[in-house]
Amino acid sequence: MNILEVQNLKKYFATQKAVDDISLQIGQGSIFGLLGPNGAGKTTLIRMITGIFYPDSGNILFKGKNFEPENDARFIGYMPEERGLYKKMKIGEQALYLARLKGLSRHDAMHKIKDWFKRLEMDSWWNKKVEDLSKGMGQKLQFVITVLHEPDLIILDEPFSGLDPVNANLIKDEIYRLSQKGTTIIFSTHRMEQVEEICRHIVLVNKGKKILDGTVEGIKHDFKENLFGIQLETLPARTANASFETISTRGNELLVRINEGYKPNDVLSHFIDSGSSVVSFREILPSLNDIFIKLVEGTPTSRQFEKISA
Amino acid sequence: MNKIILIIKREFLTLVRKRTFIIGTILFPLLYLGLIFGTGYIADKSKEDLSVAVIDKSGYFTEAALAKLNQDDTLNKLTLVNVPEDILRDRYDSLGYNGYVVIPATLDWRKGLDSLSFNTNKTYGIGATVPVERKLNRLWDEIKNDSLGIDAGKKTILATSKINLKILNIKNRAADSQSATIIGYVCGFLMYLILLLYGSQVMMGVTEEKTNRIAEVVVSSVKPFQLMVGKIIGIGMVALTQFLIWIACIFIIYNAGRFGGQQGGMLTNTVESIQRVFTSVNILLVVCCFIFYMLAGFFFYSSLYAAIGSAINEDMREAQSLSFPITMLVIFSIMLMTPAISNPSSPLAVWTSIIPFSSPIVMMARVPFGVPNTVPIWQLALSMALLIGGFMLTTWFAARIYRTGILMYGKKPSWKEMMKWAFRK
Repeated sequence: MNILEVQNLKKYFATQKAVDDISLQIGQGSIFGLLGPNGAGKTTLIRMITGIFYPDSGNILFKGKNFEPENDARFIGYMPEERGLYKKMKIGEQALYLARLKGLSRHDAMHKIKDWFKRLEMDSWWNKKVEDLSKGMGQKLQFVITVLHEPDLIILDEPFSGLDPVNANLIKDEIYRLSQKGTTIIFSTHRMEQVEEICRHIVLVNKGKKILDGTVEGIKHDFKENLFGIQLETLPARTANASFETISTRGNELLVRINEGYKPNDVLSHFIDSGSSVVSFREILPSLNDIFIKLVEGTPTSRQFEKISA
Repeated sequence: MNKIILIIKREFLTLVRKRTFIIGTILFPLLYLGLIFGTGYIADKSKEDLSVAVIDKSGYFTEAALAKLNQDDTLNKLTLVNVPEDILRDRYDSLGYNGYVVIPATLDWRKGLDSLSFNTNKTYGIGATVPVERKLNRLWDEIKNDSLGIDAGKKTILATSKINLKILNIKNRAADSQSATIIGYVCGFLMYLILLLYGSQVMMGVTEEKTNRIAEVVVSSVKPFQLMVGKIIGIGMVALTQFLIWIACIFIIYNAGRFGGQQGGMLTNTVESIQRVFTSVNILLVVCCFIFYMLAGFFFYSSLYAAIGSAINEDMREAQSLSFPITMLVIFSIMLMTPAISNPSSPLAVWTSIIPFSSPIVMMARVPFGVPNTVPIWQLALSMALLIGGFMLTTWFAARIYRTGILMYGKKPSWKEMMKWAFRK
């Protein structure tokens, strides 16, 4: 079942088509990657999903029903890219206030805050103010506040920016833990290596349009260029063969592209027949980073302002 | 609705717990009183005491008369000198005089002098020279009285027998124009300060939420309108609390003084003057009206300030230039207050106390003069109704700017752009 379905969503601003006819589905319990270069429309899309903006047209279905920000907000946790907290407010009170705004009772909120603070070793923070925290600590607090009310859908906009590896891992583990409990997570970023590691399903947006939609594995297969790496015990003098082209050689390892009409077996048999002993043979799939750059390349690096007549 | 209450509570508690609120509540009345008494004291202490040499060619001024005059009135010493005028002109300074006058020989007690020069090397202000003139005239009066043969008894009759005009409102005998004027000024100025101070508090609070990006987190749980209204009501409650604390203090001092202060002294004097003011004006009505106009006026202005707060970014200079038109409205209202107090029934006073933007200040200046005599019920009711309508309109207008502005970063918008935000679908 899809927890969130977005149908033909549009949001035009005075000078930009921020989101231009985007549709997507997000399955319950999945970790979903929303990718795109800066200014692609990710934040606008998220703001519509969180009920901050109204779409110009299109539908948002949340749990199969039309999304109503007022009632559904409590099932959504949103951590914006630019972290926001009251600097002068005590941390405990702040967490309590924001949790209660989400609709939790005082008692429930208190209980959950204590729980989370204990688990992430934030016990001693209760009476401190946000301005006393380091950037990383602030991030941790923001994450706790986002997930405190046990939302069914958590939207994280660049959650790891500014976190050191230890704390990033801590948050990552919590994300996995929540995902296992059935929480759906939307993960918006332009850091591809994190997406590859965490997400199963991704959507790539650019200039307000969806340009890619699928599982990480599937997309990698769609974009594979028949590249294989072959490590040999000794490099033969001549490697040329009709079945492949050599792209590069590093030490005893060759990077080859298999030509149209041939199979990996043809390459292997060539080397076996020619008497070279093969140490390893593996398919090289493109990284999401490569795919991203390939798809986004050629479009201007930053969005241009345009005149919208709508 | 529940969420608005949470927001109001947070705003209220955050502000009330701040040290500035406690200090402001205690210090403001002290400063206010200090300003009134302090300036009076300083003005009294800084009077100039001049020493004036008098060359008398007419023979009217005698040494004995001058000595008696200096004894009766110690400010400004007049000394009869017997030196030629041209010598005194060069040397009056070194002789210890601030200046000198030359009474001409032609002086006649029946005609007096149109103009007598006070010769000096400095230009003294009227604050210094009027007492000298008064002193000379005091002596001159004696001379005239003697010449006319008026004795001490007749002199008393001349000095004290006068007709004094006093205003008596026959419908409301307690109403006293002097007390009303004082209360009117105090109410008007207090309203002015509350509107400006708490209005800018709202503006800064909104800007803080925007630049901290907390707005984005909160707006994903509540509507922007709820966040804005919650903030305004919360801060409005703080203003109300502060005002009620002041009223309670006055009430306590008043009662404590009335029951415990038979011994006299300054406290009793204060109490007496407060009592006089209280009994001459319907104080309950004034306090109730003040609370209404304070809250309604605050909602009227603070929603506009909130809209501006949502439009600006970190830079406080942007805030100043954008909020200038709003601040001008408040300042303009206080300028309208003075003529309204001197003529509380004039058309200017009536209409400016009905039009929403100036009504909180001008109407509060008029109410102490009495309802329903000076301010008919229909005027008060119309003014209140229009102000309620006015703040609903500004809140609606501001909310539309706010919901766009609070999430809009980058360049400062112009008023024109903000209008576009307000009136688009």
